Amino acid sequence: MKQHLGRQSGVQKVDVNLLDGKVDVTPKEDEHIDPIQLLKATYDSGVSTAELDVTARGKLVKDSSGGLALQVEPNQSFTLEPNDMSRELEPLAGTATMVTVRGQLYKKPAGKKKPELPRELKLLLLEVQKKE
Amino acid sequence: MKRIALILVLLGSIVVVPVAKAQIKHIEMRVEGMT
Repeated sequence: MKQHLGRQSGVQKVDVNLLDGKVDVTPKEDEHIDPIQLLKATYDSGVSTAELDVTARGKLVKDSSGGLALQVEPNQSFTLEPNDMSRELEPLAGTATMVTVRGQLYKKPAGKKKPELPRELKLLLLEVQKKE
Repeated sequence: MKRIALILVLLGSIVVVPVAKAQIKHIEMRVEGMT
């Protein structure tokens, strides 16, 4: 699995902890990394992802449906799942303020051993680390 | 002498501002079924 993930574009380093099943992925600086591709690569290597959390910095924008989204690259953004934290950040949408957040992009549905992977990932904010 | 002074003024006027880039900084996964 480590090799599978390490081959994905934008991946600099992969650390796997066999004891607790924790996998840390360090992205390359200035390169595009696609969390869905990481989920697929993990799936292809024969293991299933229970959870995928991400720490990202970006600007808050309104997406095509009017929802709040975190834009991490000109062509990559994650729609935010509405919660107290996302509501708190809503006034920053469309401004130049950069926010650094930690959030959950994927959680395996309960009761399914090998669930189908989602086409789109929504970011559930867990922590707002910085506003600058 | 004048040129050195000019260079010093120019260097002093350059303020290096760290650019906060938008990007994914870290990904953490929890996997099941690993042997």
